[in-house]
Amino acid sequence: MALDEKRVSDASAGVGSTGEKSFPDAAARYEQTRLKKARGMTLGIGLLKGMAVTLKHLFKRNSVIQYPDERQDLSPRTRGVIALKEENCTVCMLCGRECPDWCIYIDSHKETLPPKREGGRQRKRNVLDRFAIDYALCMYCGICVEVCPYDALFWSREFEYAEYDIRNLTHEKERLSDWMATVLPPPPLEEGALLPGQPEPEMAAPEAPAAAAPTTAATGARPATTTASAVEARPEQAEAAPKGSSAATEPARPTETLPEGEQKDETMTVGGPEAPKEQPAQMTEETKDQGAPSEPRVAKEPGPAEASDASGGRVAEEASASAATSGAERSGEPAGPSDAEAVPAEEPAELTPAQKAQFQAEPGPNVEVPHEDPKPIALERTEDPEEVYRQVLEEQRAKGSSPQVAEARAKVARVKAERGIKRGPTPVEVDKPVPSAPTKGQPAEPEPSGAPEAKEITPEPGPVAPTEDES
Amino acid sequence: MYEISMFGLSVTITAWQLLIVKLIVILTVVPVGALAGGYAMHKELGHLQHRLGPMYAGGFHGWAQTLADGLKFIYKEDIIPERADRRVFTLAPAVIFVPVILLFLVIPIDRTLIIEDLDIGLFYLLAIGSVGVIGVLMAGWSSANKYALIGGLRAAAQLIAYELPIVLSAAAVAMLAGTLSITGIVEAQDWPFLLWPPGIGLLAFLVFLVGNIAEMNLPPFDMPVAESEIITGAFTEYSGMRFIFGFFFAEMAHMVAFSAIAATLFLGGYRPIVPWGPLEAIPGILWFFGKFAFMFFFIVWVRFTFPRLREDQLQKFAWKFMIPVSLGLVLAAGAWVLYAPEQLWR
Repeated sequence: MALDEKRVSDASAGVGSTGEKSFPDAAARYEQTRLKKARGMTLGIGLLKGMAVTLKHLFKRNSVIQYPDERQDLSPRTRGVIALKEENCTVCMLCGRECPDWCIYIDSHKETLPPKREGGRQRKRNVLDRFAIDYALCMYCGICVEVCPYDALFWSREFEYAEYDIRNLTHEKERLSDWMATVLPPPPLEEGALLPGQPEPEMAAPEAPAAAAPTTAATGARPATTTASAVEARPEQAEAAPKGSSAATEPARPTETLPEGEQKDETMTVGGPEAPKEQPAQMTEETKDQGAPSEPRVAKEPGPAEASDASGGRVAEEASASAATSGAERSGEPAGPSDAEAVPAEEPAELTPAQKAQFQAEPGPNVEVPHEDPKPIALERTEDPEEVYRQVLEEQRAKGSSPQVAEARAKVARVKAERGIKRGPTPVEVDKPVPSAPTKGQPAEPEPSGAPEAKEITPEPGPVAPTEDES
Repeated sequence: MYEISMFGLSVTITAWQLLIVKLIVILTVVPVGALAGGYAMHKELGHLQHRLGPMYAGGFHGWAQTLADGLKFIYKEDIIPERADRRVFTLAPAVIFVPVILLFLVIPIDRTLIIEDLDIGLFYLLAIGSVGVIGVLMAGWSSANKYALIGGLRAAAQLIAYELPIVLSAAAVAMLAGTLSITGIVEAQDWPFLLWPPGIGLLAFLVFLVGNIAEMNLPPFDMPVAESEIITGAFTEYSGMRFIFGFFFAEMAHMVAFSAIAATLFLGGYRPIVPWGPLEAIPGILWFFGKFAFMFFFIVWVRFTFPRLREDQLQKFAWKFMIPVSLGLVLAAGAWVLYAPEQLWR
């Protein structure tokens, strides 16, 4: 690399210096010889480098899994075989309809059950008679598993069901149900994710709007949705908040958590929704400065009602104090973040109750996304409807249709003509014919390909003299 | 009547008995060597690519893989094309394989362990070593196949181009040693020729190595058998036993033979790498096999590192670089022998 750079710079210098003396040939020759010399020097080195690479790989650990003896721990999302949980199936047929290969076979019948209450309607129920997947056709796209609304189909990691007879690859529902034993339990929910059936929290999450508000207000996004999606989408961020609060309550740990806080602080300005990280970082810094345990933040406690009570005033004080100290420390840091990062850090991390109430009242304008509806292409009316009506009526009569049929067909033709729908096939544009497309009625002319015409092959005697047996 | 003393034993046998013993030895050593070499090559190749190589045949780390391969090929049908020149076609694998066996005759494994200590051993090696290409040419011509013909002609052109550097570098060795006898050359190497001061030995070694890799049709000089362009060249039409003997087996045996020859000519054969007391105590047979194993490892390493050259690049490299260099090498070796002070090198 270094050699190359040197070569290039020397060569260009040579061109520049001699080129001005109006000896372009000499300059080119000089450069050529230089290049040749440089190449000659690197010739053997490249070979040795290649040898070194292969030798290095000789001593690396091999990556072979000796399959029948050893087994790979396949990923939980492996698409091995599809298992059926029969009792969940309601014969809604979605899987069979969506299957691109049509390899799912479903048979069912309806069953009538007595009404639940006296005088009620009889109930009907679908009973699954047959559910089969033909794995000779299946292409493992997983659409059936995706579309199943009742969690009756699952991926299993098993893959060893090769057969000697292709017919045995059609797994009936008994065999598909057997695969259920190999289905892995669903992965645990992400930390902070909503449990099924749990009501969605109202925009509470007290610190989230408080911290996110300054940045999100600046970008003009709605704080409520932004913070909610931020908490949901970023589990690592949800972790970060409790970590910061624990650091604030335990005075012995801030020095340990400080670098982590700083790290998070650096990533903070990447986007608006990451703003909640700002708070723990600042708090650890603050506790380090004071060297004394600070009180647990009331603002961090859940419940918007508490945040707006008498402790709110103290929060505001502390917020301004923290902003001041952190700003001072920031300016003193040698390897501190750039100005762009420092700006959001100096903003108050927490809001006064008045500001909070204002944000809750007017969450800010929505972002308008430009949207254009696709316009339907209007069909042009090219024929006179009445004329078409008469023509079709005559045609039909000439064909010997009954008067009612002829009239009906003529009316249909008239309606089509009114809407601009052509009766016959759409005429092909003939001004610019595509050369490869065959024109109607005529076969396309063969294009000259330059290759000689194919002839019947006559074997040539070849270089060999006839052997004794032949002669 | 010959008296053979070896390992402290002394036996007296007739010339005929001696001949039979030698035949048995050579006919055991060559196939075993070729099979073991093939196995070692598979293993090394596998590990170069983070794989394991053969692991099943025979039980322990697939030691019988090459044996099983050979047996499989022997059981396969021996197809001879209808338009082929039958006699030449059937004879060609033998013409390729027999000279490779004969190479082993003059390689000393230890000071006395040599089958025939010819006075013109080096000349014999060079002469026999280049007979095999006639078999390749025969195979290519008699197959009545374009690919086979191209492969055979490529092999012939390659032999002509690379035989000269081999001969000239071997001549330099003979000049330094002052003899053509293989044992004499080994005895002349108090220090291996590779380490001789003016670099003549090293240069001769490199020329000999490259020339032999080309002559054995190993990558990066394997255009005569380039499977992706001319489908194993001269062996396109071969199948079964003729294929394995003419191609795989001969190639492996040739690699083994070349490793032994290079170890003998340039690395000092059965003598220690430095003339130092404790090293002299190690038996010569171990020295020989250590050097042999290194050479074998080295050519397999080269073989699987570099991609194949183009045919014209091959020829250009031979005529424009290798032959001038080897001519200069002979000049330098002559000058060294004539004018260098005796105590420097002898």
